[in-house]
Amino acid sequence: MSTRLFRFAVIALTALAVLAPLSLVFYQSFLDQPFFQPGAKLGLDAYEFVLSEEDFWTAFFTTAAIAAGMTVIAVPLGAVLAFLMVRTDVPARGLLEPLILVPIFVSAVVIAFGYVVALGPVGIFSILAKSAFGVVPWNLYSLPSLIAIAGLTHVPHVYLYTAAALRGLGTDLEEAARVAGANPLRVAVDVSLPMVLPAILFAGVLVFFLGFELFGLPLVLGDPQGVLVLSTYLYKLTNILGTPSYQLMAVVVVAIVAVTAPLVYLQRLLLRQSQRYVSVRGKGLKVIPLRLGVWRWPAVAIIVLWFTVTVAVPLIGIVVRSFVVTWGEGVNLLDVLTLDHYREILAYPNIVRGVVNTLGIGVIGGAASVACYTAIALAVHRWPSGWTRVVDYLVMLPRAMPGLVAGLALLWVFLFFKPLSPLRATMVSIWLAYTIVWVAYGMRLVSGTLLQVGPELEEAARTVGATDMQVKRDVTIPLIRTGMIASWLLIFLIFVREYSTGIYLLGPGTEVIGSLLVSLWGTGAVDLVSALSVVNVVMIGAGLAVAIRLGVRLHG
Amino acid sequence: MKRLFAAVTAVLFCATGATAQQNYPADYSKIVDAAKKEGKLVVYSTTDAASSGALLKDFQSLYPGVQVEYSDLNSTELYNRFIAEAAAGSGTADLLWSSAMDLQVKLVADGQALTYASPEIPALPKWAVWKDQAYGTTYEPIAFIYNKRLVPPDDVPQDHAALLRLLTTKTDAYKGKITAYDPERSGVGYLFVNEDLKYFPQAWDLFKAFGKAGIKVYTSAGAMIERVSSGEHTIAYGIFGSYALARSKKDPNIGIILPKDYTLITSRVAFISKQAKNPNAAKLFLDYLLSKRGQNIIANQADLYTLRSDIDGEATAKRVGELVGDKARPVPISDELLGTLDAKKRLQFIKLWQAAMKGQ
Amino acid sequence: MAELVVRDLKLRLGDNEILKGVSLVVPRGEVVALLGPSGSGKTTLLRAVAGLEQPYAGSVAIGDTVFFDAARKIDVPAEKRGLGLVFQSYALWPHRSVFDNVAYGLKLRKVAGNELRQRVEKALAQIGLAHLAERFPHQLSGGQQQRVALARALVYEPPVILLDEPLSNLDAKLREEARAWLRQLIVTLDLSALCVTHDQVEAMAIADRITLLNAGTIEQEGKPIELYTAPKSLFTAEFMGSNNRLPGKLKEKFGERAALMVEGIRLDGMLRCATTIGGDAIGVIRLERVRIANGPGPNRIPMTLQTQMYLGERWELVFSRGALSVRVYAPAPLPAGEHQVEFPADALWVF
Repeated sequence: MSTRLFRFAVIALTALAVLAPLSLVFYQSFLDQPFFQPGAKLGLDAYEFVLSEEDFWTAFFTTAAIAAGMTVIAVPLGAVLAFLMVRTDVPARGLLEPLILVPIFVSAVVIAFGYVVALGPVGIFSILAKSAFGVVPWNLYSLPSLIAIAGLTHVPHVYLYTAAALRGLGTDLEEAARVAGANPLRVAVDVSLPMVLPAILFAGVLVFFLGFELFGLPLVLGDPQGVLVLSTYLYKLTNILGTPSYQLMAVVVVAIVAVTAPLVYLQRLLLRQSQRYVSVRGKGLKVIPLRLGVWRWPAVAIIVLWFTVTVAVPLIGIVVRSFVVTWGEGVNLLDVLTLDHYREILAYPNIVRGVVNTLGIGVIGGAASVACYTAIALAVHRWPSGWTRVVDYLVMLPRAMPGLVAGLALLWVFLFFKPLSPLRATMVSIWLAYTIVWVAYGMRLVSGTLLQVGPELEEAARTVGATDMQVKRDVTIPLIRTGMIASWLLIFLIFVREYSTGIYLLGPGTEVIGSLLVSLWGTGAVDLVSALSVVNVVMIGAGLAVAIRLGVRLHG
Repeated sequence: MKRLFAAVTAVLFCATGATAQQNYPADYSKIVDAAKKEGKLVVYSTTDAASSGALLKDFQSLYPGVQVEYSDLNSTELYNRFIAEAAAGSGTADLLWSSAMDLQVKLVADGQALTYASPEIPALPKWAVWKDQAYGTTYEPIAFIYNKRLVPPDDVPQDHAALLRLLTTKTDAYKGKITAYDPERSGVGYLFVNEDLKYFPQAWDLFKAFGKAGIKVYTSAGAMIERVSSGEHTIAYGIFGSYALARSKKDPNIGIILPKDYTLITSRVAFISKQAKNPNAAKLFLDYLLSKRGQNIIANQADLYTLRSDIDGEATAKRVGELVGDKARPVPISDELLGTLDAKKRLQFIKLWQAAMKGQ
Repeated sequence: MAELVVRDLKLRLGDNEILKGVSLVVPRGEVVALLGPSGSGKTTLLRAVAGLEQPYAGSVAIGDTVFFDAARKIDVPAEKRGLGLVFQSYALWPHRSVFDNVAYGLKLRKVAGNELRQRVEKALAQIGLAHLAERFPHQLSGGQQQRVALARALVYEPPVILLDEPLSNLDAKLREEARAWLRQLIVTLDLSALCVTHDQVEAMAIADRITLLNAGTIEQEGKPIELYTAPKSLFTAEFMGSNNRLPGKLKEKFGERAALMVEGIRLDGMLRCATTIGGDAIGVIRLERVRIANGPGPNRIPMTLQTQMYLGERWELVFSRGALSVRVYAPAPLPAGEHQVEFPADALWVF
């Protein structure tokens, strides 16, 4: 197949997959009723309504502030963490790596709740602090706390992107800096991290965008203080007119889409000189970890500190909650220990099936998704055409729909695009839905490593007679292996946690852990939610550890 | 002749394999046979799998030829999914069973329901049946819950007026400690406060008192109950009695009050979709839900409340009657509910509510 | 094997005209060096021949096979040209062993099994690295990697091999050995080669002919000895060797010779391209042709000795007079003070 055909086929399919749900949403925003109901009239009423609502603007700017704040926190931390784990000899790397990824696959609602149990007004540590200092020195429900937690829990995303790119660097540049007198921090900041700037930039943009999609954290932590973000504001729109008003929700989505354009433009601007970042050249350099020496302990301290605040604290909250009948002010935890929650959850109907489905879609579905993402990344690779700009925008669009709307839009696609209807009741529809919504995230992991492949390696293959497609197959793809594996890992973790995207496509037999958790939460069975989450974390954590052992080589 | 009649009845009874259901029409077996031919039943429901598990199991044992595909969704998801699928005509639920009374009534009013007079109607309260299309299936009181550890017995409000008094006299003690559903973001929350307006003349004073006491509003019962149990809040207003009861069984800290001046009663509404592909199976299930056998399980195994007066137990209409006498106020399953869905009225109400939250 | 003919090639990158009409011929079995400073367009020219850059005018052909012809809209893609290209960075595929790196070109040509193995082993033997066939690139030294890159380019017997700065990444000692070895290999295999380099010594050592490029045009073309001893322009003269520059004024021209006034002293030299009597001109002379004379005479300037540097096989002395500074090779150091520095007339070019 010629490259031209491959490129345009991939772009056409991507455009179709992305624009199908979005065009329905867009169309919906100009109507006054669900688009499939007869008598729906065109008009700008929805826009008038939403844009004149004070709450909308409050939510919008709050969301933007949170997104910016969390990006500012997550990017430097994630980059430094990646540098320490991948390029230096910091101790206990093997143990730490799976733990770093925990915030990705634990549902945000559960993490937030863990914080409430641990650091809330009557949380375990809060009560301890009160008895020691007389006051609780922190306020979990404030906007700064929300931003801090959002930032810290998104460090793993930046970590994955940066680590995948760092694995491809030769060590000579860092050693040169070291010899010139730079300490490890300076090496990181002046040499290594600048070399993987594209990956860091991609990660920053994607994390910023996740800020708009944030739902679980603001729901649990923002509600009490009345902090309104776009996704919880959507909740309002669901109820404000009595029956769910899709047109209003659609306007919010259009507003978020309007944010993507400048974001993507900014990203492209910052990445214009991508040739600088080529580092996988044909020089075959060895990768030797940088010795930290006396910097070991500060490095370990940073990692442990982040881990404690971001992973250990909420996990402690959840674990404690899963073992007690009640907690809080005036409760002696030791008096109320129980194993009942675990007994109940393990006897819960369909739990085994839910776990199997979740793992299936994560592992197998994830691999299939990565194949698609790699195809897209390859299609725009080294293509000096305006079409790459189109693809940049296209892939960001699906995540402009918060979970609440994404699920709906995808249901509509499968219902009303007749050719797809037979797939609706199968796992394929859920897989497709997940793949579409997360395309930017999976693809960028691959793109980041693609940028690092030196053009001469591909040109050399062409001069010995390989066609463009053979070059991709024999040279490019083997060289981006670390990126593809990192992508598969991230996608696996995301799919395992996913719920809202496929909510309308799920059915009996295809339930997943995410849907079980939400269902339990809905009935107020927080104890069961905690127990299930602990089981989930242990399972996934163990799975990750095993995978790493077996050589899913996170260290390239 | 009598003996022949009895014999025929007995034969018919054995042939259908049904337990003795009084008042069931003689040709009920036709429905059963048709259902068995359909072989399948698709249910969308907001009742979670654990609560419904016992029901489904029992139903399957009763009608082994009918396979139930039970989807557990929240009320908004259920509504969204149903209307889209119904519009696309490509297959949707046969039976819808949701705790969002207003949305269910709307769907029925829009003509989405099959008219079917269940043989159980005589045993049901009048308010629970509408047009032989929509059926109330439970009798869930809306309660106050409080933290037994932290709320002194004298403060525990026994009715709405007492709550109002408590909040106005002890505002500081309860600042930030009250919680309720958010009428702006929760359909059920909106419904409850609207019902309050009907029965409590000082409702707006109460809401203003909420505002002055810095009430924290949520969209999920779980979040509220959890926070009351931990002591972050001490009193929750307008909680589903079924959830509270289930929780109090495990957690001794949760106290439940059914307000004595009036107690709202919600009921999970079920209807059969007009587009049902398995209408007979749906009829079987509906009848089962409403039957003594099914309601017994609802009361004693599913942590929901039964609306039949001929069932004993903690989670029953009988028991609620004992607690609140004639002060039970079921939310009407009728056109009246549609009023709450009026967009203009809602926006007006929300404006007033927002002002009340500021103490005005 | 036929000859490679490039005709009037023009190439633009963005707004820059990189090649402004370049023509050259690589006859059969000859090595042609593309020489020039950075930015002259030599690598771009090489890549254009390989098919990795797109010119907008001109043609490239080997014998009857046309690879590129702007007028006839022919542009054969790189992978179909069947040429061999050795990259400056070697561009060995890090995920493949030495054997697989070399074998890839044959695999693409559907060569398999025994024949494949034999040909690869032969290619590796030619470069003396048969024993490293199973190693990976990162396990090889720079020199070894370069040889593997060469074997990779030669294994499928291309009509012409293209080399981009083949020796520049080797250290100095290795470079001298390598250039001898490389030339020998090319000659033994009777290959035609086009070799890019910025080092004029390397070019003269390896090539049968040199094409000197300057800012996208050909400055001079010919045998190494022609460019060295008979440069047609100042640029060529200065590029090809180590020189002294003597700025001055042109006094008179007579036939092949000219008189240059430098620091008030008359020097006679070979007229190259200075034209205006009384105008500015530059005298250029190779370092090794400057002599120290015993006493005053024609074409001699008295200059003061400034520095002496020991270079192993000779001394380099630096003299100055006024603004003029001259470097001279000498077998032995000299006493300080003034000396007569002679610029033989037939070695001095006047531009």
